[in-house]
Amino acid sequence: MAPLLELSDVTVRFGGLTAVDQVSFRVEAGEICALIGPNGAGKSTLFNAIAGNAPIQSGRVLFRGDEIQQMTPHAISARGVRRTFQNGGLFGHLTVLENVLVGLHTKVDSGFFGVLAGARKSHRTEAGATRQARGLLALMELEHVADALATELSGGQQRMVEIVRALATDPPLLLLDEPAVGLAPPMRARLGDIIRRLAKERSVGIVLIEHAIELVMSISDRVVVLNYGRKVADAPPAEVRADRNVLEAYLGHG
Amino acid sequence: MSGAARHAPVTAGARAASKLGRLFWLVPLLLLPVPLFLDQYQQYVANLVLVYVPVGVGFNVVVGNLGLLAFSNVAFFGIGAYTSGILMLKLGLPWWATVFPAGVMGGIAGSAASVPALRGVRLFYLAIMTLAFGELMRWVYIRWEPLTGGSFGMAVPTPSAFGWSLDAESHKFYAFLVLATAVIALTNRLLRSRFGRAFMAIRGNEEAAAAMGIPTDRYILLGFAWGGFAVGIAGSMYAALVGHLSPPSFDLSELILEFAIVMVGGLGSLLGSVVGAIVLTAAPEFFRDFPGFEELVFGVLIVAVILFLPRGLASLLARAHPALRDRYYRE
Repeated sequence: MAPLLELSDVTVRFGGLTAVDQVSFRVEAGEICALIGPNGAGKSTLFNAIAGNAPIQSGRVLFRGDEIQQMTPHAISARGVRRTFQNGGLFGHLTVLENVLVGLHTKVDSGFFGVLAGARKSHRTEAGATRQARGLLALMELEHVADALATELSGGQQRMVEIVRALATDPPLLLLDEPAVGLAPPMRARLGDIIRRLAKERSVGIVLIEHAIELVMSISDRVVVLNYGRKVADAPPAEVRADRNVLEAYLGHG
Repeated sequence: MSGAARHAPVTAGARAASKLGRLFWLVPLLLLPVPLFLDQYQQYVANLVLVYVPVGVGFNVVVGNLGLLAFSNVAFFGIGAYTSGILMLKLGLPWWATVFPAGVMGGIAGSAASVPALRGVRLFYLAIMTLAFGELMRWVYIRWEPLTGGSFGMAVPTPSAFGWSLDAESHKFYAFLVLATAVIALTNRLLRSRFGRAFMAIRGNEEAAAAMGIPTDRYILLGFAWGGFAVGIAGSMYAALVGHLSPPSFDLSELILEFAIVMVGGLGSLLGSVVGAIVLTAAPEFFRDFPGFEELVFGVLIVAVILFLPRGLASLLARAHPALRDRYYRE
């Protein structure tokens, strides 16, 4: 069977700058793959390339064996590749509940004319989606903020809502861009626990960009290290810790 | 969490609003006897208010819900008005049969006006490009003389609906009331569905909206088309009301009035658009007897609202009663 996500020789260039240089790796269902490297190593660009937000010059991105590198971001998302954003991608004018409902967008199939006609089916679809969204928030113990505006939550709650929203459609692959930024240590531990359970209990494949190195080492199955856009290591956490290339990437040549 | 307690009223408000929503249809019914109390001129002003309700509602979908600074609204208004006028004058259609075609033409114009936005043009660049569309249409009204009557304008035949002549202002009032109510009800349904949520998501963060599987281009096109449709219907009502169409009616000052309706009412608020239309259309008319005062009232109103109620009159309504809190109005 084809792997869940497979990158082969992916290169992303912006003008003369090669942000991602012939990177290849795979992620299987239920696997947590961390993407680490110093600032400017190309981690976020690689994320954007997978999600369709950055142009790929050469190489291929395969999701369940199908090439997705030419697809638009919404088509890639609809296929089941969902992501969170580094700087918080919540919709500020919407409540927490509405944010999750937007996450369910592709599952709410009420048609344009049905909506205009006030068709019973549209009402049922809408009510069903609302129930589902509330249920998802309850799972993460966020139901009490369902009607608050997204911008009124604490940083930690916003991260959690973003994850709930990304997971709303039960995607097989989740891309998390620095989910632990600004989280207090207990919250960080809880986040790690949630990510771990998503992978192990629900077989979600997870690609994780994270600077909190302890979190990365404790939950990842595999760590891919980038430096200057190139992959310099791809191994289980324990091996990566001992890798000379990784030390060089972080500390420079000694 | 302190947030939970603070937001309890919002939920209560939402519940109250949905209860009150069922009473929505009572409002036009309560307005039925209004013509009995108005003289000819006051009735004209009331009709004008009803014309500007769908103008504000349609404009607000693009500016307030999609969050795109597009100024092509007057083009949709003019195209709707001329469509009705031309169909009545040249094809002899009764007015009622031209209302929907006027909306459709407005919708097509809306789709066309979305092209710069679909090409990624935003903010001031989008504003100036869409503004040009309105000005271009004014040139078309002047140049396409055989159809539009050119600079002299066009006399619109007496409107009629299903065999009834709408020769009295009070007759027009009922026809307009039906249309304005329909536009509000349909837009309300649209905004409360996944379509309206997608609009608001695009306003908030286009990249994140696409990451939720929303084809943002398609929704931007839809928002423009719906806005154009609503405003096109308003144009048709305008043609029936004033009986004479000429290019200066669709100039920049008209655009400023329409934009002011949205800003004074409240960006993104459906109820706000209605209130904005009422206030900005009616208030200056009542000061018409005092020359120069009309413009002054208009100006002072806008300045006062922007200064003291930056989120528009919708914020007053939301404070007055939780049930009047608009779905997408957020303080």
